Amino acid sequence: MRDGIISEIYNTMERNKNVYLLTGDLGYNTLEKIEKDFPDRFIDVGVAEQNMIGIASGLALSGKKVYIYSIIPFLIMRCYEQIRNDICYHDLDITLVGIGAGLAYGILSNTHFALEDIAILRPLPNMTIFSPADEVEAIEGMKYLSSHPHPTYVRVGLRKEAVVSPQNYIFHFGKASLMQKGVDVCIFTTGSITDEVIRASKLLTLNKKITPTIINLHTIKPLDKNTILKEALKASIIFTIEEHGKIGGLGSAISDIISESAHPIRVIKIGTTDVTSKIVGTRAYLRKILGLDAEGIYKTIVEHLK
Amino acid sequence: MKNNLIHLTKDLRKDLIEVLEPSESHHVGCSLSIIDIVAYLYFEALHVFPNEPKSPNRDIFILSKGHGALAVYVTLYKKGFFSKEVLATYDKNGSTLPEHISKGVPGVELSTGSLGHGLPVGLGFATSFINDKKDNKVVVLLSDGELDEGSNWEAIMYAGHHHLENLIVIVDLNGFQGYASTEKVLDLSPLKEKIVPFNWNVYEMDGHDFKSMENVFKQIGKSKNKKPHFIIAKTIKGKGIPFFEGKFESHYKSVDLATKNKILLDLKNLS
Repeated sequence: MRDGIISEIYNTMERNKNVYLLTGDLGYNTLEKIEKDFPDRFIDVGVAEQNMIGIASGLALSGKKVYIYSIIPFLIMRCYEQIRNDICYHDLDITLVGIGAGLAYGILSNTHFALEDIAILRPLPNMTIFSPADEVEAIEGMKYLSSHPHPTYVRVGLRKEAVVSPQNYIFHFGKASLMQKGVDVCIFTTGSITDEVIRASKLLTLNKKITPTIINLHTIKPLDKNTILKEALKASIIFTIEEHGKIGGLGSAISDIISESAHPIRVIKIGTTDVTSKIVGTRAYLRKILGLDAEGIYKTIVEHLK
Repeated sequence: MKNNLIHLTKDLRKDLIEVLEPSESHHVGCSLSIIDIVAYLYFEALHVFPNEPKSPNRDIFILSKGHGALAVYVTLYKKGFFSKEVLATYDKNGSTLPEHISKGVPGVELSTGSLGHGLPVGLGFATSFINDKKDNKVVVLLSDGELDEGSNWEAIMYAGHHHLENLIVIVDLNGFQGYASTEKVLDLSPLKEKIVPFNWNVYEMDGHDFKSMENVFKQIGKSKNKKPHFIIAKTIKGKGIPFFEGKFESHYKSVDLATKNKILLDLKNLS
């Protein structure tokens, strides 16, 4: 997924001489081609994220389009107030490309995880949040964002992610993507965990003869309220599944929409809790331990269908 | 020039006091400590265009100590960026002139209010101008207490390393910060000796003496060593209004209507 995103940034920088890429000293073995071909517009600002957001803001205020690349907690948590005041209050053309969605950093553990990022960025004015499920979506989204002059956060998982987008996928930024039409059970998900959701759905069909509707919300802000309500009305239970904390993430956003509607329906949130992990392991291992792999998701859904 | 500026800054002080909302407006002392510097910048040092505030040829001024906004508002008004009617709304309900400086005001480049934001943004402007081979200047005015913020030191390191020679920082060294004197809270001295090794040109000036300011800006104009410029401006909190002058509490203190009228009368008798 990462390579597709970087190559789209490269293409945008090649087309438009007013586009910059900033990094907080990260991107080894990833950003070299951009550095080599656009030396004046590639800036490694050093390990100084507050300054990095400020510099990006000054560049944007002078008419530049700026991408910023870093690991999610350093990119958005260390310098949250700079993002709020300098980028969002001024509605600047800056795209924050955050690496390491959810548990992606695996054995590097808690300091590198991104399980609260959506929760803290959703409330910010003028902010757009894009959370692609795979490289196909990532590339389509980056093409759209190349002419979207507003604050944007792109939530990126591992370098390689399973492809879940269907053949001939028609991507619409800001719209929910219906991945599977089903009955009664409706699942909303986002990001690379969509792959686990699809596999959990196959288990449901195989073992329980249940085919859930699966909606992928690659755009978390603005959220496609109309599609969410339309699908929710057809269901008898809703599950939200994300590799993010249950507080403030996609599940909270969907719950907000449902609770303001007149539709009496349960929303079951599947995600992480606000407890730091005491053990380490790869993302696949941690997903399994936390019930976020296909098997774990399947079990949780079955429990709630009893 | 100097005589004109002396008259002008007397008027600015009168305008500043006139718009104070009795028992509401704060941050008067920290506006008065920078008002002479801001006037010098807008009337002598910066290329700005009141009829075309967003002109691509303009120099950029960022007030990083956003709580000194009133000094900038009265100066922008005097320079012709907006009318006296707009200025008169200051600190009143429904006004577009907040007590912390706002980009919504014609002539203002950046909203600030949280300390340590302005200098990094200034670096972005400076980088943009250098890469585009434009000769616009960038001036960022910081408070002394604001230098406690780590983001400034990230920026100071960066600007020296990247030779941002079009960048001028002015520190309003009035000696007071939020809770007490800077000497007591976190001593900055020796400030000059701290900044020089970061690869900056460092100057000292009297922030209330226009001749002193002119000397420093002449030196900067002649500089050819590709370093950014750091001006330590010795100032007095509340300068020019005895009710506030030299007083720590002028950061917070508002005036009641009787005091406001008394100050205005004193200013009138002085001129």
